[in-house]
Amino acid sequence: MPSKSKSFWTEKKKSAGVAYLFISPFFLLFAIFGIYPIIFTFYLSFFRWDALSPMEYVGFDNFKFVIEDPTFWISFMNTIVMALMGTIPQLIVALILAVMLNSSITRFKKAFRTLYFLPNITSIVAVTLVFSSFFGGEGIANWMLTSIGLDPVAWNSGWWGVKIAISIMVFWRWVGYNAIIYLSGLQSIPHDLYEAATIDGASRRQQLTSITLPLLKPFVVFTVLLSTIGALQLFTEPYVFLGQSGTGSTRQEGITMVIYLYSEAFRNSFFGTAASSAVILFFFTILFSVANHWLSNRMNGEDGEA
Amino acid sequence: MKRWMTLLLSAILLVSLAACGGGNGGNNSKNAEGTGGSGGEKKEEKVELTFWTLGTAGYDKLVEEWNAAHPNIQVKVQNTGDQTAHHNNLITALSAGSGAPDIFMLEIAFMEKFIKNQDKFYNLYDLGAKDIEGNYLEWKWKQAQSKDGKFQIGLPTDIGPSVVYYRADLMEKAGIPSDPVAFGEAINTWDKFAAVGKQFTDKTGVAFVDNTDLMFNALRDQSDSEIYFKKEDDSFIGDTNPQIKKAYDLTVKAIQEKWIGKTVLWSPEWGAAMNEGKVAVVLGPAWMKANITGNAPDTKGKWKVTQLPEGSGNWGGSFLTIPKETKHSKEAYEFITWLDNQDQQLRAFESSGLMPSIPAIYDTDTFKNAKDEFFSGQNIATEFAKAAQKIKPVYYGPLHDTTDSYFKSALRNVIEKNSDPAAEWDSAVKQSKDLAKRGG
Repeated sequence: MPSKSKSFWTEKKKSAGVAYLFISPFFLLFAIFGIYPIIFTFYLSFFRWDALSPMEYVGFDNFKFVIEDPTFWISFMNTIVMALMGTIPQLIVALILAVMLNSSITRFKKAFRTLYFLPNITSIVAVTLVFSSFFGGEGIANWMLTSIGLDPVAWNSGWWGVKIAISIMVFWRWVGYNAIIYLSGLQSIPHDLYEAATIDGASRRQQLTSITLPLLKPFVVFTVLLSTIGALQLFTEPYVFLGQSGTGSTRQEGITMVIYLYSEAFRNSFFGTAASSAVILFFFTILFSVANHWLSNRMNGEDGEA
Repeated sequence: MKRWMTLLLSAILLVSLAACGGGNGGNNSKNAEGTGGSGGEKKEEKVELTFWTLGTAGYDKLVEEWNAAHPNIQVKVQNTGDQTAHHNNLITALSAGSGAPDIFMLEIAFMEKFIKNQDKFYNLYDLGAKDIEGNYLEWKWKQAQSKDGKFQIGLPTDIGPSVVYYRADLMEKAGIPSDPVAFGEAINTWDKFAAVGKQFTDKTGVAFVDNTDLMFNALRDQSDSEIYFKKEDDSFIGDTNPQIKKAYDLTVKAIQEKWIGKTVLWSPEWGAAMNEGKVAVVLGPAWMKANITGNAPDTKGKWKVTQLPEGSGNWGGSFLTIPKETKHSKEAYEFITWLDNQDQQLRAFESSGLMPSIPAIYDTDTFKNAKDEFFSGQNIATEFAKAAQKIKPVYYGPLHDTTDSYFKSALRNVIEKNSDPAAEWDSAVKQSKDLAKRGG
């Protein structure tokens, strides 16, 4: 080999080059389908554009429109409320399910695991369609309420009705998924810890609070983070559910931030304001993730050594 | 050395892959140039046209026939069921500058988005559409026209003239004339319609009209030339348009006097109510026939059709357009004028129930003799035709759809939550104005 090329292509550089070449497909695809759209969204948020006509620079007008639009703040509130109603009970129930699955008294563990996970792989549109007839004006939900002497609820238009219906859909779909994650967390806890605790005379409750929960913390943090991000991006459930009510997904009771930006772009052809609301959502997501992180760190501090 | 070879090989592989992708494009453009250049041999050249259709237009059979008769112009149909996806796909293709079909079926609800960008389409007037303009219903033709009338974006296919579908047997029970002519006369103004509605429900306990959305639509579509937006400058006029106020007030009246059903449009309960005889009247366009026959099989033979009070309105219907990206505008135009001529429209009516937009069809014997067993053997086609000829062109504006949903939501709030109609109206108007501000 000529000495000239050898001076540049050292053995180390060559192997690094090959490695980069082999991982390049991912980065190329990510650049095209990940980075570029994100950068373009930021760029687009300063323009007025209907996707066909030439783009027109408008400065911060799009952001002004979005921030001054009460519907946007309603969608923000809805997203937060549904995030709380959909995730907190869901994570608690998931944890209980996981503990039950993990305990030695449950039989047919594998069957239960499959059953719990099943909702997660069902087509979300199909699920939502089933739920929309369940929560219809004269659907099963209202029939059950009236048969136990309660008033029927306006699931399609009530401020709480819509949110409860959607949260139940989210709950149903994700509870099994999180239970499986918790279960794998529970199974990663070494058995000898429990044995030692039993010998020391610790009760089941003490074992739960002093061994299981602290060691499960990384899994809890992980599911909380995922659920938060997922909740901020809630789209299909309310979209299909309210889409059934004829007037489309602009009904304010169930509009989420992603539905807001979707209708801006694809119903009203305001791609600029859609992009700027996406940018705002982007920062909200970062904010919530950081808050999550901070909270979980703080929890660590209170507990001392985890 | 070995690693060096691997690197080289991978690089060659990557480059050749890229070349493959590019190669196709190169070939295509060469072909296209060949078509243009060879002049006299043009007819020998085989042209393939892609045709994006929407929903259940039932054009497949007609296209097969065309392909058999025209070996040099082969049409390939790609069907999409979902309206929004269908039109968004075209927007994506047009803004990307490639991937658009040679022929695109455009639904009226999405017209404004595309007519605003007419430079992305062929002007059918340039391809000779002036000659066939007179064949079609005037209002329908104008729907696909630029504001100045110089640009024709599409060729009319089917239309959606609104009529009254009603249960003749239930009318009889309530002592209301059930014959289409007599019933039509009994409800020939909206005031009379409301009075009959109240009388019917008081007597039978059954909801007269099925649903707030359809009731509102029927009156809304009778607006005079504009609905929510001014044609000149797209400013919001929904709050001052007397017809919108009338539509809103009459629906509120129906709610307060309890002769309107509570079911949500398109929901399973809405369909079930028809089948179970909980509804006496459905106000809808010609294509609603398919929904009624599908939803209410148990009520076969009990329905009839008559004219709406105070004229008709149009809801839905499509056009055939030719995007600028095509290299075969002549062939595409030749195909759509064939697919959309009198014979083919009549056949699409017979096979899929598409209501023709060529009025000459209404006088043909096949059309006049079409009896419908579901509708007590009545010739409902002529009722649709009668309605079609009463329609006047209206301007929608790009924000029509969203604005309309504000008013529909307001009415749902009144019926479901007993909210104050006046306050709901004000809030719908305010939302519409805020939305319009963003567009201007």
